[in-house]
Amino acid sequence: MTAAVIGMGAACGFGHGKAALRDGLFSDRNLFSTLKREGREAAIGEAPFLGIEMPEPDHVLPPRVARTASFGSRVGLSVLAEAWTEAALENVDPERIGLVVGGSNLCSREQALAAREYADRLSYVPPRHGHMFLDTDLCGLCTSAFPIRGFSQTVGAASASGSVAIIEALNSIRSGRVDVCIALGALQDLSGYDLHAMRALGAMGSTRFADKPEQACRPMDIRHDGFLYGEACAALVLCRTDLPSVARPYGQIIGAGHVADGTRGPEPSTAGQVRAARLALEDAGLSASDIDYVNGHATSTPTGDLAELESYRTLGLHHARINATKSIIGHGLSAAGAIEVVATLLQMNEGRLHPTRNLKEPLDPDFDWVTSKPVDHRIQNALKFSFGFGGIDTALVIAASGDPQPVGPGGRR
Amino acid sequence: MTLDSSHIAEIIIAEIRETVPELAGQPIAASDSMPELGVDSIERSEVILATMEKLGLKVPMVELHGPRNIGELADLLLAKRAG
Repeated sequence: MTAAVIGMGAACGFGHGKAALRDGLFSDRNLFSTLKREGREAAIGEAPFLGIEMPEPDHVLPPRVARTASFGSRVGLSVLAEAWTEAALENVDPERIGLVVGGSNLCSREQALAAREYADRLSYVPPRHGHMFLDTDLCGLCTSAFPIRGFSQTVGAASASGSVAIIEALNSIRSGRVDVCIALGALQDLSGYDLHAMRALGAMGSTRFADKPEQACRPMDIRHDGFLYGEACAALVLCRTDLPSVARPYGQIIGAGHVADGTRGPEPSTAGQVRAARLALEDAGLSASDIDYVNGHATSTPTGDLAELESYRTLGLHHARINATKSIIGHGLSAAGAIEVVATLLQMNEGRLHPTRNLKEPLDPDFDWVTSKPVDHRIQNALKFSFGFGGIDTALVIAASGDPQPVGPGGRR
Repeated sequence: MTLDSSHIAEIIIAEIRETVPELAGQPIAASDSMPELGVDSIERSEVILATMEKLGLKVPMVELHGPRNIGELADLLLAKRAG
């Protein structure tokens, strides 16, 4: 069984709403700059961190609730509201609607700020802090604001969390547990501590492009230098394809693969990536030759890009168009898989592919990269990769369904 | 200036307004009770903790059950502050 995507919401450096994402992906606008949100300062004497931050979200929650919700939760609610409204679920029994939030340790920046603020007055820690820093607080806020009564949970898979949320939402529909399931790739609100740790690990863009942030994120380019963080969040409403009277779909999730490759830390595994892709293709009833578009995990880290290229070679994806959404909006970590699937579906419905920023000299020129300019292309079957630290490899196969549904200027179809 | 119960009630009311912005247009008096104003139990704890911090006071929350309105809570906090 496949699942139709009938509603989408997104937030990133381009702003709130999938129309902003769609316009931005094709705009050639640079978003990368130094991170300025409180709590992300670099140590004295160290270069500031580069990345992308988003504007404040629209108000969705009542003020008394909003003041106790984390930044990431407020963004999540705004993104869910966009997807929910579009999906028009009024006639669906709330007990047949589920929610899977992808991501873990979502509020570490605000938690660190709170720990600092209350360090010498711990007797007065606000009672709300007993639940607002749990990742499930986002589940509670979503299900108290919207009639979702089937089930709700979070799933953690590092940078593959958004994809794993989609896979678990798909599974919950396939198993018959619910008819509609929302996958929400939550905003990973990184703290300065997290940023320093990833810099120390060598995973994040170094100081090589400190003075040229617009050039720092360059997936699959020979001068790639590590990933750059980008705040992001996205929600997708998945639905049984035989459910009557629901919104027209953007496309279908027709196959999924999710494996453990046996590595502990950040090391990529071509074997695991290939296995995940083959499982997804088998699930979809397709072969690699049926794939005409690949949305890479493509973080811009040297070892990650090379291992992923080897996966493309092993799978035989030379005929497919390939781009890297992270080159434009940065790496959303927990949200990356979800917002990149939204980007894939937006491209599917636009009939064109977005550029890959800074892909001047591809590591392997034998692949059919989308480089500096958008290209017209009607995606039929897309392959979407997402990988996470801890040996987690996922792949999704996403198929076009019928006539494309371009997003209008206001984000509505 | 010595602190009296009405000053403490004013602090409590200011904290209620901070915690529940929805009450902005509504008059709040010492004779009102938090549950009647729609303040839930976690919000009540937040209001009391914030008030105690302003008073430099810390007493366990279980010792603060009983007052039927804001004025009685202020009286109790004043008594606790006096030791």
